Amino acid sequence: MSSAPGAPVLSVRGVSLNYGAVRALVDVDLDIHAHEVVAIVGDIGAGKSTLARVMSGALTPDTGHIEVDGTPVTMPSTRAARDLGIAAVFQDLALAENLDVVQNLFLGQELRRGGILDERRMERRAWEVLSQLAARVPSVRAPVRALSGGQRQAVAVARTLVGDPRVVVLDEPLASLGISQTAEVLNMVERLRESGLGVVMISHSMVDVQAVADRIVVLRLGRINGDFDAEHASYEDLIAAITGITPTGRAARPSRPATL
Amino acid sequence: MSAVQQRGSLTQVELAGVTGLSPATVSNIVKELTGAGVLATAPTSRSGRRAQQVTLARNLGLVGGIHFGSRSLRVTIADVAQRIVADQRMPLPPDHRADAGLERASLLLTELVDSVGATMSEVLAVGVGVPAPVDPRSGRIVSVGVLRGWDGVSVPEVLERRLGVPVQVDNDSNLGALAELRHGAARGKQHVAYLKVSHGVGSGLIVDGRVFHGRTGAAGEFGHITIDDNGPICRCGNRGCLDALIGAPALLRMLESSHGHLTLSDVIAGAQDGDPGCRRVISDAGRLLAVAAANTCNLFDPELVVVGGRLAEAGPILLDTFRSVLAQRTLPSTAGPVEVVVSELGTAAEVRGALALALDHAGIAQSMAVAG
Repeated sequence: MSSAPGAPVLSVRGVSLNYGAVRALVDVDLDIHAHEVVAIVGDIGAGKSTLARVMSGALTPDTGHIEVDGTPVTMPSTRAARDLGIAAVFQDLALAENLDVVQNLFLGQELRRGGILDERRMERRAWEVLSQLAARVPSVRAPVRALSGGQRQAVAVARTLVGDPRVVVLDEPLASLGISQTAEVLNMVERLRESGLGVVMISHSMVDVQAVADRIVVLRLGRINGDFDAEHASYEDLIAAITGITPTGRAARPSRPATL
Repeated sequence: MSAVQQRGSLTQVELAGVTGLSPATVSNIVKELTGAGVLATAPTSRSGRRAQQVTLARNLGLVGGIHFGSRSLRVTIADVAQRIVADQRMPLPPDHRADAGLERASLLLTELVDSVGATMSEVLAVGVGVPAPVDPRSGRIVSVGVLRGWDGVSVPEVLERRLGVPVQVDNDSNLGALAELRHGAARGKQHVAYLKVSHGVGSGLIVDGRVFHGRTGAAGEFGHITIDDNGPICRCGNRGCLDALIGAPALLRMLESSHGHLTLSDVIAGAQDGDPGCRRVISDAGRLLAVAAANTCNLFDPELVVVGGRLAEAGPILLDTFRSVLAQRTLPSTAGPVEVVVSELGTAAEVRGALALALDHAGIAQSMAVAG
């Protein structure tokens, strides 16, 4: 219920990753707790999506490792990460356009009863996870191609919830959405947090990030260039960290008290 | 009905999916309600097939309500019969700015109007609530520092140019009071104090059945009553204001060392689950709220005190202390202590008030009342 500082669920420890000569991530340390929204912001090419992919098993770092509940783990695939309780939604959403919502939610993880698909249980579970997100999807039997951008995002997030994850990684969930769809996705992020999940949200929309995040982590040229308390960090502080006006180093600007 | 109301507009096939009824049953119900003038249908296409788009019938046009909270934005569209046809909320960052906020609100309003199959030309008026004192005549925010980034902004000026419809603005607590008077807990009363306890604290005063604005609209700035002469400096620049002591930032700061980073929802949920720290913080807030409310009651002698805002969701945890301290600190009366109730409209009170303001302006409410 409460976000007691407690032990982190997911930790990134000293992770570096190069694409040839490009240093995408340099010695990154990051902790994600339960019941917390951590936003990762940064310029284009700062390493945000690379970090999301490392955290969700889609990329293996050159050095460093990932810990779940303080224990080092290897995540050779997103499947392995899902089994450890870390689910990700990437920008492309990876939904099957011609299949309906239920089929998409359970694709590759179908519920069976005596060898045959248990459609009724899947449909019920589909409504459950969608209502957990307060998602306004007209029908779980509608093909995904008929849904709006925000509804698709909801279906993609709902698919991760089917496996009861503890951390959900959302890569640019607000990209190319209209304002009411943005509103729905932000409400959904709040719901995920309220149900006790750790949420990692990659975005470059500072207004939206500040609206829902507990912490804002700034990446710059593959390094962590600031870890802010979202309540007290100003827009100017964040822009300074993103553009490198503040000196590099994670203790560049400790969160300051709200008054005085 | 409620399925259509929630979603604004959808096709008959989708309606069958949402309600779990068979398409034939839905078709019959829709036909019946269309005949009765409650729903309207229009031919459309869905995945290449012909379909019937179902919306609520609108005869006389629409009004929009916009409520800016300290940390959220809510936009609601209603028809002139006060039926809500579309509603959307979204979280906002701390210290959100006027330009970005008003732009978002206009976009959201336009998209919602679009989602019910209407155009902006059907919108008669828009009402806006902001959490700062507003001069009701000029529509300008008159405070300095209370709502950072909004000082001196004229909301109607910006929005009327942007939306092309008449825009009315008032303080959000005043609108909450108005909504409770028209549709909520204060129906039929003449003198009411409405207290909004959310991220920020404010109040709206109803005197002789009307919202009391004072000289520049700053009447009822309840959050800036001095409670502690040696208290912390408030964002308004004074010391020990109620808002600086029991506004969400203050409550969350008190719990930070023991509970970590929380949101206001976390504290309310925690208190309801019996967390002693969260309960204590809310019940202490109830005590300070009562100290300020007692002064208000001694000044205005209202028939009713309505407690609204997010913190009212904590129910007795807030209200038990509130009631007893209020009774203790107001002048004893032969009529007994003033009645205290929880808001009936909850967090929707402010946006409902914004709709009422828009309707009043559109001048339809009265003619409807005459006709109906």
